[in-house]
Amino acid sequence: MTEAVFRETTAELRTQSVPLAHLSLELGHLYMEDFEAGPERLREHFAEVRLWVDAARASAARRTGGKRPRISTCFLIDDYFTRFSTPAELVPLVLKEAEEAGLVIDYLARESGCAVADRIELAESVRHRLVESPPPGSYGSRPSVSQTGWLANGQRTPSTKRAALGEVRGWQPPQETAARNHSVFMDVELWSEKDGRRLWSCPFLAAVWQLARLGLLRHLGEPVLVPRPWTGEDFPTDWDRLPPLLQLNPRAAAFSAYRTCTLMPNRFLAVEDAVRLILDQTEVDSGALRQVAERSAREGLAVPAAVAQRATYVFYEEPVNATAPEGP
Amino acid sequence: MTTAPGQPARPVLACGEVRTCLLPSFQALDGRAAAQLLRLRADEHVRVSERPNLYALSPEVLTGVDCRLPTSNGAKVRAVGTVATRVALTEGRLLQSTAYFSAPAAGPDTRRPWGHYLVRPGVVEPFGKLPEQATAEGVLRGAGRGELDLGTIAESLLTRLLRHPLLDRKVPFKSRRTHLRWTARRIPAGERAELTRFTLAEDGLRTVELRLPEDTPVSAAAGLCEDLALHDWLLTTVVHMLDSSRLAAADGRAAVQALRPAVDHLLHLWMPHAQVDRSLVHLWEVLEREPGFTRQWQNLVQRIRDQLAVQAIPLLHQALSTS
Repeated sequence: MTEAVFRETTAELRTQSVPLAHLSLELGHLYMEDFEAGPERLREHFAEVRLWVDAARASAARRTGGKRPRISTCFLIDDYFTRFSTPAELVPLVLKEAEEAGLVIDYLARESGCAVADRIELAESVRHRLVESPPPGSYGSRPSVSQTGWLANGQRTPSTKRAALGEVRGWQPPQETAARNHSVFMDVELWSEKDGRRLWSCPFLAAVWQLARLGLLRHLGEPVLVPRPWTGEDFPTDWDRLPPLLQLNPRAAAFSAYRTCTLMPNRFLAVEDAVRLILDQTEVDSGALRQVAERSAREGLAVPAAVAQRATYVFYEEPVNATAPEGP
Repeated sequence: MTTAPGQPARPVLACGEVRTCLLPSFQALDGRAAAQLLRLRADEHVRVSERPNLYALSPEVLTGVDCRLPTSNGAKVRAVGTVATRVALTEGRLLQSTAYFSAPAAGPDTRRPWGHYLVRPGVVEPFGKLPEQATAEGVLRGAGRGELDLGTIAESLLTRLLRHPLLDRKVPFKSRRTHLRWTARRIPAGERAELTRFTLAEDGLRTVELRLPEDTPVSAAAGLCEDLALHDWLLTTVVHMLDSSRLAAADGRAAVQALRPAVDHLLHLWMPHAQVDRSLVHLWEVLEREPGFTRQWQNLVQRIRDQLAVQAIPLLHQALSTS
């Protein structure tokens, strides 16, 4: 068929591609309590992580058939739920402790960048992309996106409120949609509202973070959370002045990758299970999805079709001196 | 059945339903407002064309389903997947919402993790073998209780949009919604697409049966059916307007009032296959030969103009006699 003579650019869709490494390796997630526990806590963390980093690298190399894999490392600091210290004080400390453990942090991200980065509301965009897994019997009459702020992996326990003239029915169990014999039912809070302001939950922001690392986020076809290079100047004294994603190592492999591996203490297990639940019910940009599938297949490293399957984790035992607070 | 990563199994059938209505807004929307109305997602573009007519198309949104497929022979086939829905606005005046899905010839006997279905947007997989013919007929007949209901899905998106603050909910004239259900059986790539049947049923229901080459995207079929539904809506609405004006013909002013909205809002909307995929444009020819959509439209337009001219004569007389 011949090319069309007439074109209208506003009538065409385009998705810009992003550079992709083989593996995005997260070396840690820093919360206030970790910081308050002092530099020893960080030292312990990196010493433990170092072992698993070597294992993750070996695993990636096995996948690339001995060819040197492109691996980028990243580190996330929470500035969303609690603000503590300043980049000027904290970042050099993190870098020093990582270096002493023989680790290089290629990219540094702020957690609030997963909510809003460069004035683009990433979390809100991802919320619009949630497509709830339909329990059996869903024929199209259910609302398409959760308005409640909760996302489940099945059907909740029916409300036991007594209907007018109705009988009080006994308790009914919830039901996991993909249950094998027995249910493991999970219901995840995606956000809460306080004083008219929406506070995204930790699992929801972590799901956005995973999508960014997997190269699957776009805004109007353009890449988002694009790393800004660090030119060696002092880090600012205000978190808002630190770019949401900073490239610390100029020779680093690309930030986004075909797969992610996240190394974290085992108290995050529930949070990350919730992240998988969210990823499993998120319809990502189809153009970005196709680009990743095609390029990974061309390299002989085809990604799993389902997005949640591209994320792996190592949960390690918390250092002894660690306090074990509830998740963030 | 194994499939390449991210690649849906080859679909053998596509089905959809289009709902067409007048935008409840006193003024037609311009391109910018249309894009704002149709922005179903913050991070995705609304496609807007200005040539040959003003046309805006929303991104697709998905609805998850796990239920029986409608079948004409009563076969109970459970299916799981996502139905795609989109909205189009033509000349800032006619709003259409389409829900559609494709189905492969066969699927696994158990439900897979939901992530599997989400990377196959707009695909609904049957448990076991798909009864192709019975499902196509079932969709055209309409969903029974608890069966996959494209009409409900299209309607709920339409309802959501009609609540948009951009709309003042003032219709310039009364009109009825129409529904057009369609099915497309897949034929080998390279063969020529065919429109095998167009049925005008009661209560604003129309059905279309297509044969669609495998290499033609299902969204192209959705676009064709939206175009057919839009022109059918125009014919239906203008015929109805002329009927009402005939009742009012004794009173010149009332007749003019009944026909005026057609001139103000509808006559310029007739533009067959303006936004239809090039590989499907020839399907219009079938309807132009029989029953002759454009022929009927031209006839209606002529009647409206004649009516208005006739009604203008007494006014002219009046003006001459008083001067």
